[in-house]
Amino acid sequence: MKNDTLSFRDGILSGDRRIISRAITSVENGSEQAYAIRSAIANHLGRAHVIGVTGPPGGGKSTLVSALIRLLRLRGQKVAVVAIDPSSPITGGAVLGDRIRMGSQQADDGVFIRSLASRGHLGGLARATGDVIDVFDAAGFDTIIVETVGAGQSEVEITKFADTRLVICPPGLGDDIQAIKAGVLEIADAFVVTKADLPDANRTHRELESMLALRSDKSVVPPVLQIIATTGQGIEVLVDWLSSRPQRGARHSSGGTQSVLKMLSQLISADQYARLLGFELVAAAPGSATVRMQVIDQHMNFNNRCHGGAIFSLGDTALGLACNSYGTIASLIDGQLSIVSAVEKGEWLLAHAFEVSRTRKIGSYRVDITRMKDSSHVSGMHGTVYFLDKPNPALVMPSLKK
Amino acid sequence: MFERPPKVIVTKIGFDGHDRGSRIIAACLRDAGMEVIYTPPWQEISTVVKLAIEEDADVIGISSLATDHLIVPKLMLALREAGVEDVQVIVGGIVPTKDEALLIDSGVARVFHPGSSLQDIVDEVRLLAGKRKNQNGAQV
Amino acid sequence: MTTTETMNVTDEQLEAGTRWEREFAAGVSGEGTTLNRSGIEVKPLYTPADCSNDSYLDALGFPGEYPYTRGIYPTMYRGRSWSQRQLIGLGVPEDYNLRVKEMLALGASALSLIPCNSVFRGYDADEVPIELLGTCGTVINHVEDMERALAGVPIGELSTAMNDPTPFTLLAFELAVARKNGVPWSKITGTSNQSDCISHFVANHMFFRLDLQGARRVVVDHIEFANKHLPGWNPLSIVGQHMQQAGATPAEAMAFTLCSAIQYAEDCIARGMDPDRFLPRFTFFFDISVSFFEEVAKFRAGRRVWAKLCRERFGAKDPRSWRFKFHGQTSGVDLTRQQPLNNISRVSVQAMAGIFGGLQSLHTDGYDEVLSTPTTESARIAVATQNILREEAHLTDVIDPLGGSFYVESLTDQMQKKIESIIDLIDAAGGMYSAVGKGLVQQMIGQSALKFQKRIDTGEQTVVGVNAYKVDEDPESYPTLQYPDRLRMQAQVERLAQFKANRSASSVKNSLDSLARTANTKEGNVFEQVVASAEAGATHGEICGTLRRELGFGHPLTIV
Repeated sequence: MKNDTLSFRDGILSGDRRIISRAITSVENGSEQAYAIRSAIANHLGRAHVIGVTGPPGGGKSTLVSALIRLLRLRGQKVAVVAIDPSSPITGGAVLGDRIRMGSQQADDGVFIRSLASRGHLGGLARATGDVIDVFDAAGFDTIIVETVGAGQSEVEITKFADTRLVICPPGLGDDIQAIKAGVLEIADAFVVTKADLPDANRTHRELESMLALRSDKSVVPPVLQIIATTGQGIEVLVDWLSSRPQRGARHSSGGTQSVLKMLSQLISADQYARLLGFELVAAAPGSATVRMQVIDQHMNFNNRCHGGAIFSLGDTALGLACNSYGTIASLIDGQLSIVSAVEKGEWLLAHAFEVSRTRKIGSYRVDITRMKDSSHVSGMHGTVYFLDKPNPALVMPSLKK
Repeated sequence: MFERPPKVIVTKIGFDGHDRGSRIIAACLRDAGMEVIYTPPWQEISTVVKLAIEEDADVIGISSLATDHLIVPKLMLALREAGVEDVQVIVGGIVPTKDEALLIDSGVARVFHPGSSLQDIVDEVRLLAGKRKNQNGAQV
Repeated sequence: MTTTETMNVTDEQLEAGTRWEREFAAGVSGEGTTLNRSGIEVKPLYTPADCSNDSYLDALGFPGEYPYTRGIYPTMYRGRSWSQRQLIGLGVPEDYNLRVKEMLALGASALSLIPCNSVFRGYDADEVPIELLGTCGTVINHVEDMERALAGVPIGELSTAMNDPTPFTLLAFELAVARKNGVPWSKITGTSNQSDCISHFVANHMFFRLDLQGARRVVVDHIEFANKHLPGWNPLSIVGQHMQQAGATPAEAMAFTLCSAIQYAEDCIARGMDPDRFLPRFTFFFDISVSFFEEVAKFRAGRRVWAKLCRERFGAKDPRSWRFKFHGQTSGVDLTRQQPLNNISRVSVQAMAGIFGGLQSLHTDGYDEVLSTPTTESARIAVATQNILREEAHLTDVIDPLGGSFYVESLTDQMQKKIESIIDLIDAAGGMYSAVGKGLVQQMIGQSALKFQKRIDTGEQTVVGVNAYKVDEDPESYPTLQYPDRLRMQAQVERLAQFKANRSASSVKNSLDSLARTANTKEGNVFEQVVASAEAGATHGEICGTLRRELGFGHPLTIV
């Protein structure tokens, strides 16, 4: 294999795995080639979404990353993973064990996993992490996940490289939750409570939320999400939320997911019925939307359960937002709801709507409605929508907003 | 420029699951300052090839019991077909002497039998990693 | 020499002891103490001062009575010898059948079946490279294979150990054969030898690849099914062998095994099962190393700890529930490839340790175990070893003959302490499932393995023929791996194809659909569906594949 810079650049841009791998070795070691490689790819960066994932060992990080990768792949993305393990300060050696915990992703050609040893570098990353991320970015990977091991103390370094920083909190941290140092609280964009089927999960969730409420910067409150990675519960919501995040060099275009969130926020504020029933938008992406509600007195029926109509309305609102996310009017022409669990007053419900298929005129959507506290299934809905070529009035005439 | 330590994959293909020996080898290589990718047993050959490519590995150490060594030639072929025949492969475990030639002919650098000293194995891995770097010229 | 129990010691004894210490130190240079494999200090001499102050009844008791230190039955081997249960597994079903009949003729009183590695991994013969078929066990993929394997064997009268992890398809095939031949299921006796999914996750010799939580559910289903339909079957064998072979010290192996047993017992209690119904059918399976006294103490301590757990932690009331029943296998890890005949001596010592430890059933390895499945000759010697120990050396004439030895009692107490401290550690980590999920157990085992290997490498631990007392051997003279006849394997694959062609495709599909549905919902008994699928003609690979899809592909968590 020729070793000159041009063949490195061509190889990286065309996605040649061996060359990508050699380029990573080169920048990792800071070889003579490294500088040239960095310059050669400098103009080809900014496409990927870089997600930093950190959390204590045994916290379910690898299982979560594995589940994330699986869903991202299903959505057609190419995914790269940088897995960082600590080197022994005495011998300089390392067992790079992160990647083997990612199970079935080992065999998927749309996934590229590279292990890095920290080589004495503190801060949770390896010195060359930024460069390695750049190589993957230039190679055309849509999402780059950077996984570090940390007990919540020193991996604030991830803030330099990641667009989105996830901090994993397994339930039952107990006193250790106090050990999540202030630095990590500040840098996290979202907290993920893994193994949400464990009894302590809700308590950990509440403790996190109360700690976050004490932060000085109250303009953006990072969400706390609950996930059961082994069954996949909560993963779709997480991935939707991730896709609504800004990424490196993201341009604000009408197709960008950043603007989809803005657009759907506008739509739901113009929806009087949704406001009446207390629906709130949680996440959005082209073709999908997540809406939540708390069940209060006015939603109760004569059997002291949540009225089926309220549940239908919730699902319909999510579905409506999802299919209107292209900026043009879409209307439900056929909808079916099933309810499998009775809902009590006070419960929080989450409706996640997503597109199954779409032609120019007709679209098919599904909605999963779950309890927020444990992601248990409450209701399923599917609907057929009809697309018009007219823009949503609420977007054209912003003065309609109250 | 950082002198990269040898990068070694320690793995098992085939069906045997006894991995005490391979775990010990992985720990020793780490203690000798190397970077080790350790996998559980029962890896598919295609997965090992993918690992070797993605991790830019210098050496692959296969731990073998029962008749697992009989499919090592398949691994050697797969490495060649993927264009990574420069990766050095060693095999350790129970390999009947009559099959050793089979493995060497297929491209395996060395076979280690039970009772081999850990230091010998570490030294050989270091030697082979150096060999690969030289083969690839002044690259990294 | 420190004495903590002053009540046992008179002044005269103290003086004599000090005198002896002086003379010992004068006559011996260097250290007088060593550490055994579990890290317990072994002194050159033990006296009553080293033993506990508890009364005989409290500390030891009589055989068959709490705390069972001296044995779980009043009669032990005087009443009934241990079962000679030799592992058998090789080639195609007909080969197995032949070997079983040979072993029975030589005096084996129970059967054991080891399937081929491909079966362990959940695959049929037509899904794997042919080079890997049939070396380490028998290839059995469906009910007709099992029929051939057990042809002419009185399964209603002999106990069978099925070395088959979740979802226990081999037992399902045996039950199908029993039904076909008119043998009532109530007469089927034996053990599901590899039912301990936790041990596979930790020390993955034969890990089946069902996600750990999925396997957990199937194990409890299996126990429930056996409780209802198989009164003679022990559905759970909690295995210490894998962990000890992976490098856990004997104390660790016993402790971790008991911790796994605690989880299974608690799962059964959570399902609403009565401890007095399921505990009597919990059995254990241990490795026996060549560290003779340590193994004896390990088993005696294990009996005491288990009895206490059953009575106090699980609340079982029937004394029969408190009994620690176990099968022992001589450890293959102590055997060497060099000078293989030496292994016969090693196996004898290991077997003796197991016998003095009070096991209920014993497998002795063949001297060529290191390579693969034993030859007829080595299998014969292994069985003869047991017969010699019992009938020539008369090792069974006295129950718990080492009981009362100052060393053995002291060591039993110390092993117990160590075992209990490890159980406390695992409890603090949230139980065995949690500890194993975090990799804590794997880490401890890995460290023990590395430590032991270093002792061998430095020569501190002698291994005859390997790091000491070596001779020049011609590698050609080592017993060679017996490769199964490639043509017979090919024929086996063809027979599989024929079987698939002749069965009712719709019955199979329906049964597998039911199996998938049961696995998917929290209701229903997965093992019951496995049996139904086996009877409908589904193959092992099809059953495992279906369950993997529904319950998840498991990946062992390995820590180096």
